[in-house]
Amino acid sequence: MWWYQYLSLAALFVCISACIWHFFRLIRLGKPKELSEKSGSIMRAEVYSYTTAMLPAQKESAYLHIPTYVSGILFHIGTFICLFLFFVFFFVDPLVFRDWLILAMALLLISLFLIISIVCGLFLFFKRIVLKKIRTLSTLDDYLSNLLTTSFQLVTAFYLIFPEEAVIYYYILASILLLYLPVGKLRHVVYFFAARYQLGFFYGWRNSWPPKKQK
Amino acid sequence: MEKLTKSQIDKAIALLKMPVDSKLVTHLNACVHCGLCAKSCMYYKVTKENKFIPARKVDLVASLYRRYCTLTGKVVPFLVNARELDEEMANEMIDMLFGGCTMCGRCVKHCSIGVDIAYVVHVGRRMLAAMGLVPESLQSTVDMALKTGNNMGIPTEDFVDTIQWMEEELMDEYGKEACIPLNEQGRKILYTLNPREPKFFPLSILAMAKIFFAAKESWTISTNMYDVTNYGLFNGDNEQAKQIAKRLHDEVIQMQSRLLVLGECGHGSRANRWEAPNYLSRPYEFGVVTVVELINEYIRGGRITLDKSLNQELVTIHDPCNLVRNGGLLSEIRFAVKHAVSDFVEMTPCGIDNFCCGGGGGQLSMSEYNERRLQSGKIKADQILATGAKVVITPCHNCVDQITQLNHTYKLGIKIKTIAEIVADALVINNTKNNEKKNNESDNKQYFQI
Ligand code: SF4
Ligand code: SF4
Repeated sequence: MWWYQYLSLAALFVCISACIWHFFRLIRLGKPKELSEKSGSIMRAEVYSYTTAMLPAQKESAYLHIPTYVSGILFHIGTFICLFLFFVFFFVDPLVFRDWLILAMALLLISLFLIISIVCGLFLFFKRIVLKKIRTLSTLDDYLSNLLTTSFQLVTAFYLIFPEEAVIYYYILASILLLYLPVGKLRHVVYFFAARYQLGFFYGWRNSWPPKKQK
Repeated sequence: MEKLTKSQIDKAIALLKMPVDSKLVTHLNACVHCGLCAKSCMYYKVTKENKFIPARKVDLVASLYRRYCTLTGKVVPFLVNARELDEEMANEMIDMLFGGCTMCGRCVKHCSIGVDIAYVVHVGRRMLAAMGLVPESLQSTVDMALKTGNNMGIPTEDFVDTIQWMEEELMDEYGKEACIPLNEQGRKILYTLNPREPKFFPLSILAMAKIFFAAKESWTISTNMYDVTNYGLFNGDNEQAKQIAKRLHDEVIQMQSRLLVLGECGHGSRANRWEAPNYLSRPYEFGVVTVVELINEYIRGGRITLDKSLNQELVTIHDPCNLVRNGGLLSEIRFAVKHAVSDFVEMTPCGIDNFCCGGGGGQLSMSEYNERRLQSGKIKADQILATGAKVVITPCHNCVDQITQLNHTYKLGIKIKTIAEIVADALVINNTKNNEKKNNESDNKQYFQI
């Protein structure tokens, strides 16, 4: 292993530790305290909260903003693919993939997908700059988080195609991203799931979720 | 505004530093500033002003959280827009969290992440309350409730006069045994009202009295504490909310009733059904039910008979946010209405997606925001017009009040009724022994078990 790989391993350790800290802080604080008499089913509401309630048809944030919604989804898929590959590359050198035609093709396809994902990331970045509505809401952290993630995808795509040339940049950028993740808005990787849980609990307790079918 | 003292700031920030569970920390860390909630809020939809974007309201509180409770916000505040709590900030919070949000929760359902925006707004109101910065108009409503036992300060003699007047009307129609029992201990039900009823809409009381009479119910109203509202839910002072909730709780015990029935008031139902046990730090010792659910029990159990043909006009429903989205009564409301009217049309959108009428969150008592309130109600007015309905039914007297004002402002030409009123209009009273038998049988039903 090279120094930059050790660096990224250390960053990964910090990132995972910090995310675990965020997670366990929520666990320690505990679930909402409710003394009213429960009316609905928390379990069914939680299932709804993580599944159907997230469908585009259920949310104006999706169906009123299809280009943004689709970009967001693709961008997130791209990010998760990159993170997955980051783990894989600790065990397998990307150069090995070249020996197998199918794997080489798969890497090429992933690179192509990442290009689409990068375009989506840039679209979201420029939308944030151009639209006053979103600009007034944005912090430096929002721009930085997007740029770091988009750059990480870009460097991953390069690394897949030119492993030898891109390897240092790949691990350095991965390290920066991993170190930044728990302190900036990227920590929504933890809080997103917590927020869905809270909504399921709140609406499930009151029998508002899952919504009743209107006959 | 006078300069904030350190003690004021400390009290407000303490609410962020000492969360009681994981809810606050979750929602203050979850927003990704995508801005996709904007069009879900009636204030933004109507005004197109960026300050009304729900996420901006969340960020007022979250930026303080970042500044005072996170390492990033303390070390590099400019990176995450971590703000100081100063006079400018407090003014913005008052304007947006009190005057620019009804805590209807519509944006919550549509948020791309699931941030409970209404909850965060409420926490912001609590911070302002801790600093003594609740708008005077809203605070005076709470003070009135604390001082007199009802938020409109209706003197007991006036209240009793109104009830007796309604009782006479009832007796004229149904004979001497039809009455409105006041302060009768040991009755099964303690019934509550929105003080707007004795003050402006006494016929609502009459309507419910008819239903109780038809169902041969054992019920009473307490002149000491009949107010279902609790504006402590809105002013953010949980201690005051607790005092108001405790007064009603103690009255149920004192009257030896087994069931607290919450009159047609969205926030009052929410405050007493869902929040009060938390204010009081203990579960209720008695049953609690909204009047809509009670009426449905009567319909299901055959204790009242309705004739839909007595309500022929086209009817639509306005879903009060605190009863439907935040209270789970979507199908209960429809059950009652569909049994009482022959022609019914839904608004678009409706149910848990419905737009707030604009009168929630204490807006009706904050006269300084009247213009904004009526402006935000334009969406509701357009929704009503689009249905073509002649009657709007809503089981909330605050919504009735706001829609009445919208009716006037936007020339809707509609009638506004509560569920009790529309059900009473459809009542067929067959005063038979059979009815009494059914009444006795249903004594053991779910709501009445202790
Ligand atoms: S939709 Fe949700 S996550 Fe996006 S800006 Fe609004 S509150 Fe924040
Ligand atoms: S709770 Fe209602 S009024 Fe408040 S921001 Fe959300 S949609 Fe707007």
